[in-house]
Amino acid sequence: MKKLNMSYEKKKGLYGYGFIGIWFIGALMFFIIPVIQSFWYSFHDVTPDVGQLIKKWVGIENFRRAFTVDPDFRVNLTSVLGDTAWQTPIILIFSLFVAIIINQEFKGRTFARAVFFLPVIIATGPVYAIITGNLSTSGTADAEQFSSMFSANMVDELLEFVGIYGFNDKLTELLSTMTSDILNLVWKCGIQIIVFLAALQGIPASAKEAANIEGATAWEFFWKITLPYVSPMILVNLVYTIIDTFVATDNKVMTQVLQIQDDWKYGLSAAMAWSYFVIVLVVVGIIFAIMNKIVYYDD
Amino acid sequence: MATETMTAQAVDQKGLKSFLDKVRPEKKPKESKRSRKEEKERFKKRLSTLTPAEQKYLKRKQAIEAVWPIARGLLVFGLCFVIIYPLLYMVTTAFRPRSEMNDPTIIWLSKSFTLSNVKDVIKAMSFWKTLGNTLFINIGCSIIQVITCALTGYGFGRFKFKGKNILFAVVIMMILMPPQIILIPQYMFFRYFNPLGIWHLITHNYINLINNPLTMYMPALTANGIKAGLFIFLFRQAFRGLPKELEDAAYLDGCSPFKTFVSVMIPNAGSTFLTVFLLSVVWYWNDYYVSTSFFTDNSTIALQLKNLDASLTRIIFNNGNVKVNARELIVWLEAGCLISITPILIMYIFLQKYFTEGIARSGLTGM
Repeated sequence: MKKLNMSYEKKKGLYGYGFIGIWFIGALMFFIIPVIQSFWYSFHDVTPDVGQLIKKWVGIENFRRAFTVDPDFRVNLTSVLGDTAWQTPIILIFSLFVAIIINQEFKGRTFARAVFFLPVIIATGPVYAIITGNLSTSGTADAEQFSSMFSANMVDELLEFVGIYGFNDKLTELLSTMTSDILNLVWKCGIQIIVFLAALQGIPASAKEAANIEGATAWEFFWKITLPYVSPMILVNLVYTIIDTFVATDNKVMTQVLQIQDDWKYGLSAAMAWSYFVIVLVVVGIIFAIMNKIVYYDD
Repeated sequence: MATETMTAQAVDQKGLKSFLDKVRPEKKPKESKRSRKEEKERFKKRLSTLTPAEQKYLKRKQAIEAVWPIARGLLVFGLCFVIIYPLLYMVTTAFRPRSEMNDPTIIWLSKSFTLSNVKDVIKAMSFWKTLGNTLFINIGCSIIQVITCALTGYGFGRFKFKGKNILFAVVIMMILMPPQIILIPQYMFFRYFNPLGIWHLITHNYINLINNPLTMYMPALTANGIKAGLFIFLFRQAFRGLPKELEDAAYLDGCSPFKTFVSVMIPNAGSTFLTVFLLSVVWYWNDYYVSTSFFTDNSTIALQLKNLDASLTRIIFNNGNVKVNARELIVWLEAGCLISITPILIMYIFLQKYFTEGIARSGLTGM
């Protein structure tokens, strides 16, 4: 009997290989081997030739060049890391807030939901670049001012309205870039809102009822019930948001890497991409390790 | 006979109606009015029996319940406006004559309505041809990818085999790794394509796959296309969340694992399929990174839109002989945006109902 059972399990395991087989072949061709090759390139001086790349071992020279010689790489790196550091918490808080609101019952909820997920459809494409007014590709800087969302002027007007007039140029500038960034952040929250909404719908009705009977206020309910139940998804969203900004093809480091590839400096670009990736991995790893201890699992 | 039964039915209905009228309780509005008044008194009575702290709590709750819906309405409206504003602007501008862009009195609705921008843009983007190409390359790939990712996700979610954890780590790495890292090796792979590693030995030649749709189809066919890692992950979560009994019952009835997958598992993961389908189509539709990397001259909607001002200058403005200022150019750009997102927007409107449900059911919450 036991033997038969074993063979059944084994057979099932073989089927498992069958199901992932096609992916594995692809991953080997399009992911695993290229990753190893690219890692290998980063230690070489690479020049393209017919049918192959001529590689000359240079050790960590490429990495040294990326960090000490290249004028832009470190600047871009810190700017991307800095942007991610302040944007991620805002995205998370905002999307949790929106998810809580559209999880409640009210008229027009379906419409509101549809609108909040709209950025998922639009924000990844070139349409987004145009409608948010970034027309710089065409060199029409004039249009940029015009078409961008009402942010910059609104802040100025608001400050004037409150009576802070010409108070501090730097402060006004900081405020207006921040508001325009925040308005743009609304466009980055689609997926996160969906994930939080799913988590909110997973809160058991018994917990809600108990809180009601005990007379919890909405505030207490949020901190004592919602947050613990949602916390695993906060971790997921945190990691997703970081990855999403890091991996985005339009972020500064990635643009620079592509530029250097166009100059045929494959070794240097591989070294840059890899050091960037390792930094991202370390950041995500640390966050994961810390958050995993805080997160509450309902088992 | 027929008429008899008809009348019998009619009488029956009439009788039923009068019967219901008799049985039905008094009209509702009256009752609710009374009960509200009663409720108020009862509430006051109840309040007096409670401790001050409890009274405070109840009063506060009442106040919040009165104010919150209004505040929420304003908030939702405001936030929706931030998202819809650029879209509304897009629609109104797309149909605006270019001369009216310089009219400061016009903010939203233009005085006249024109289709010429849209027509120009359709010509400049060679829209119908581009659409065909996009459907063939991008949408074809995205649909194939949904199927292959589902198979892989099922393998990871439902079977135990050696090395599964390591292989799944590879999937996670696919999500984390920026695509730029592997661009050059991939390019070399396609440029000097060497099937099974023996083609070169036999023919002393390589196959050049650059500009070939296979560069998009091969990764999609093997579940390695755009954001494939994420889709495999979503499918794995969804299939893992389904009850084990479902599968066992199918096996007992003599289904093979593959048949179980097709006839038992797929119908139960319908909303996940829709979600992944929508995301996959959208990401392929909006992609301009992969579609340019392995093509020297590709024409998809996203690419055409990205290069719209160049092609406008070339085709519509007669190589720059027609002078247009930047403000006027917006009219064409917004028209281009409009026709580019309309197809997926229509698809989204039909599918959005299942969209949240799909993610909710994908078992992300039960991680």
